[in-house]
Amino acid sequence: MAVTLNDTLNVKRDIKHYDFGMPFWEATRQQRLVIQYCKTAKKYQHFPRPVSIFTGRRRDIEWREVSGKGTVFSFTIAHRGTPAFQGAEPYAIASVTLDVGVNLIAGVVNCTFDELKVGMKVKPYWHPLANGEHLLMWQPDKDAA
Amino acid sequence: MSLRDNAIVAYAETKVMKKSDRDVWVLAGEILESLLDKTGFDKAEIDGLVMSGLTGTGGASMFWAQSTCDMLGLEVGFCEQVHTGGCSAVGAVARAAAAIDAGLCDVALCLYADTHVREHNGRNDRNYRRDWTEPYGLLGPPGAFGLLQRAYDAKYGVDLRALGKLAVTQRNHALLNENACEELRVPITIEDYLNSRMIADPIRLLDCVMLADGAAGLIVTSRKRAKEKGLHKCVIPIGYAERTNFLGGENFVDVTRSGHEIAGRKALAAAGLDVKDIRSFHPYDDFLIAIVIQFEAFGFCKPGRGMAFVRDTDLSYKGTLPMNTGGGQISAGQAACSSHNLIEGVRQLMGEAGPRQVKDTTNALVTGIGWINYGRNWGSSAALALVPNQ
Repeated sequence: MAVTLNDTLNVKRDIKHYDFGMPFWEATRQQRLVIQYCKTAKKYQHFPRPVSIFTGRRRDIEWREVSGKGTVFSFTIAHRGTPAFQGAEPYAIASVTLDVGVNLIAGVVNCTFDELKVGMKVKPYWHPLANGEHLLMWQPDKDAA
Repeated sequence: MSLRDNAIVAYAETKVMKKSDRDVWVLAGEILESLLDKTGFDKAEIDGLVMSGLTGTGGASMFWAQSTCDMLGLEVGFCEQVHTGGCSAVGAVARAAAAIDAGLCDVALCLYADTHVREHNGRNDRNYRRDWTEPYGLLGPPGAFGLLQRAYDAKYGVDLRALGKLAVTQRNHALLNENACEELRVPITIEDYLNSRMIADPIRLLDCVMLADGAAGLIVTSRKRAKEKGLHKCVIPIGYAERTNFLGGENFVDVTRSGHEIAGRKALAAAGLDVKDIRSFHPYDDFLIAIVIQFEAFGFCKPGRGMAFVRDTDLSYKGTLPMNTGGGQISAGQAACSSHNLIEGVRQLMGEAGPRQVKDTTNALVTGIGWINYGRNWGSSAALALVPNQ
């Protein structure tokens, strides 16, 4: 049976941020993806933390812009949504390994159930939010090799 | 003094209810009454209270354990609320024993009472979810385990019939457990598992626990005190370990590995047991795939061989490795702060499991899983090895 996936773009979202993650959200205003980077460990980390998870030090953190291109690590199809998403089922959420080596979980748009596979190449889709920020979502990267 | 100088001298539990007809403190009082009757301890002799914080009714209260002391008329020298999620049940035993060893109390009540269906007082979780998963509608544990199971499938392959076998084995055990939730005491087949509706594909309804109400409890005291009291039928905790935020200092991990690797190794080493010596296994079961991952993490089989292990092993109470002989949480109901599998392990070693009694009561291994982290598997892993008093 063919399953049509919903994009969930009509769901109302009111996202409450932590101050230490604000650089991520500020960058989304320009549809840029920035990820925390530890200068000492020379590695990225996501989600944003108040310190480097490698060294425990706040001063080791900087933010670096990344391409947002990645590969589907895993995904799930929600047949039962959270309260705000009820009625929008089924919709897909994917954990995607960015080319800088961290996983980032986000909803999937512009994609059919049959297309969605572990290993599929994806790129960002920026969904505008009411406050001027954008919500990062994933869409198939059909140009990727 | 060490962990094994302590003893679980009694257990008690209510029937698991789809929705409790009585208040959570009435259930707690019933557990207290039952434990006093079983042990002969006077209420005034109980000088420690260790409560699981994994409760929708009370967990959001900063004063849950103290309020409960007040309600039950307990005066204690050690009052503790354990907050390691689904590890809190076994964690409470370890904390009670540590408090006894440290001289903080002599006789501890480990109390697991929750009526989260009847009265859920909300949660004040502060974590990654509000920024990083809620905007996408990822449904709590089923969503997280959907991601986990598909990642397992991509790495090793999921055998749905093996998961179905786990579901059926546990359900058959619940049929033999009068304290299991009555609504779940209906026989199922592997086909029923395969055909159950998707919740968070690949997670089906029959992969999941169902929230239910109930209470349970244990009395933990020193072996010396147990002997003085004439409590000879008791269960000794001989090895315990827990691990929170396994590989938390790494940015990308193999999600099929869990902190049970470390907790299991440490608990078994403390117990002086090899995993092959384990005679019954009571793994925390919020989702069936978690059982498979635990078989691998504890070393019952090699990584990636969990599905084959399930296929090749008789996990029934009569089998070579009896598993969750009370039905597990998935078939008994997720009640009493997820203490069901612990209570069952204790009951088996006391030889009181009736029609589902395992033959070999040399030991039992009980585990915990607590909290869901971002895109991995679970935040806390625990293991408790038990033996009967010899």
